[in-house]
Amino acid sequence: MHHSAEVLARVKAPGRVGALASDDPAVGTGEAGSFDAGTVTRIQVRVDAAARRVVEARFKVFGCSAAIASASLVTERIEGAAVDDVLRLEPAEIQATLALPDERRHVAALAVAAARRAVERWRRDR
Amino acid sequence: MARPVYLDHHATTPVDPRVVDAMLPFFTERFGNAAARQYRLGWEAGEAVEQARKQVAALIGASAKDVIFTSGATESNNLALKGAAAAAAAGRRSIVTVVTEHKAVLDPCRRLEAQGWTVTRLPVEPDGLLDLDRLRAAVDERTALVSVMAANNEIGVLQPLAEVSAIAHAQGALVHTDGVQAAGRVPFDVEAAGVDLASLTAHKLYGPKGVGALYVRRTPRRVAIEPLVDGGGHERGMRSGTLNVPGIVGFGAAAAVARDEMPSEAARLAALRDRLLAALEAGLEGLIVNGAMAPRLPGNLNVSVAGVDGEALLVSLVDDLAVSSGAACTAAEPSHVLKALGRPTDLALASLRFGLGRWTTEADVDFAAARVCEVASRLRAMAPMK
Repeated sequence: MHHSAEVLARVKAPGRVGALASDDPAVGTGEAGSFDAGTVTRIQVRVDAAARRVVEARFKVFGCSAAIASASLVTERIEGAAVDDVLRLEPAEIQATLALPDERRHVAALAVAAARRAVERWRRDR
Repeated sequence: MARPVYLDHHATTPVDPRVVDAMLPFFTERFGNAAARQYRLGWEAGEAVEQARKQVAALIGASAKDVIFTSGATESNNLALKGAAAAAAAGRRSIVTVVTEHKAVLDPCRRLEAQGWTVTRLPVEPDGLLDLDRLRAAVDERTALVSVMAANNEIGVLQPLAEVSAIAHAQGALVHTDGVQAAGRVPFDVEAAGVDLASLTAHKLYGPKGVGALYVRRTPRRVAIEPLVDGGGHERGMRSGTLNVPGIVGFGAAAAVARDEMPSEAARLAALRDRLLAALEAGLEGLIVNGAMAPRLPGNLNVSVAGVDGEALLVSLVDDLAVSSGAACTAAEPSHVLKALGRPTDLALASLRFGLGRWTTEADVDFAAARVCEVASRLRAMAPMK
């Protein structure tokens, strides 16, 4: 078991862990993965509708260190980002930044999918 | 307190400084080949090896001539299993072992199976112990060898070797035990256990890596095994190759220290282990102990932490603790031992194995418990609701 410094640092201090009020119309919630498969990533965004920007992002994760680090990095990237940029976020960038080994790459895709679903949910429900 | 705190003494142990001191001259001024008996440098090396053989034998209640030095326990297990299989009578073509054995027993068994041997792998009870009735039912007149470990490397439980031997011998089968985790930690006596073959290694008892031994019984019945390595007839023809004199001397010195200090050290470790368990139980809900608490190695504790990803737990502790996990390997394969106890995959993965050792202190275990409780609570709080 060998992890990149980036993963280790984020597991130690993951940053944006937590929850936003899901009944707030400015908040969108997205989830990806399953407990049975061993990883669940939930990402919530608060969006400034006028600016179409994510002003706050939070996550919760059940899963391995790479899943925690991925959700931490994704929420960091999307906070302040334009909604359209969140929808264009690619797992490859997260995987590369965290130097994830092949067998852990899918958890970065889960974090990206959760972020995208959060924004889509906000767009649908507002 | 040095960080990370090392609590993985089932994986390996640091070499005791007294052992290092005993070894050092044999790298330099006393470098002779123990088989070169024609001159002083050689015969002195040979004498040092024989002294070490006595020390290792004394640790396990054997006579010195029964001890064959090897490169370690994996070689010893291979030599015992394949060597005994090769020397077995024609009508005996089966081996009985246990699912919770170390891979260094299970893999040679699989090799023999591929060569036509019948291998029976007995399940264990939920506490990790072997059901002797199952063993009795599995051993018959076709059984060449029964291999049951003395102490489990993950959950520390001690198997009832004397009863195992009685059952095997009643059917004329030999008994091998992987004694790696037991020797030097709890009383391990080949006569009391009744075993015919026993694998040992130095590095689990504060000796160097790369040296082990196989006990091969000579009395009252001489046990025959075929060598795996030919060339020179060293070690009564059972293990050729120039002897690793510094390593063997270190093994002997380590065995002598372990034997001298065992009663007090075992009591000290058991108290520390119980203190660790109490602190974990006080600080963490959903803690599950894996394996019977008795009979068990005094320095062993294995727990599963429900609701936490095992890998994330281990990585979160990486700067603080050197402990092993059911998820130790990269492929996140759950431990075959914990699976054998009936643990579901998530609990098998979310396990921590603590192995306390000679320099473990109360402060170390208090720190370990506090860190595990803190990290596990943090990870649980991080998880979304199911």
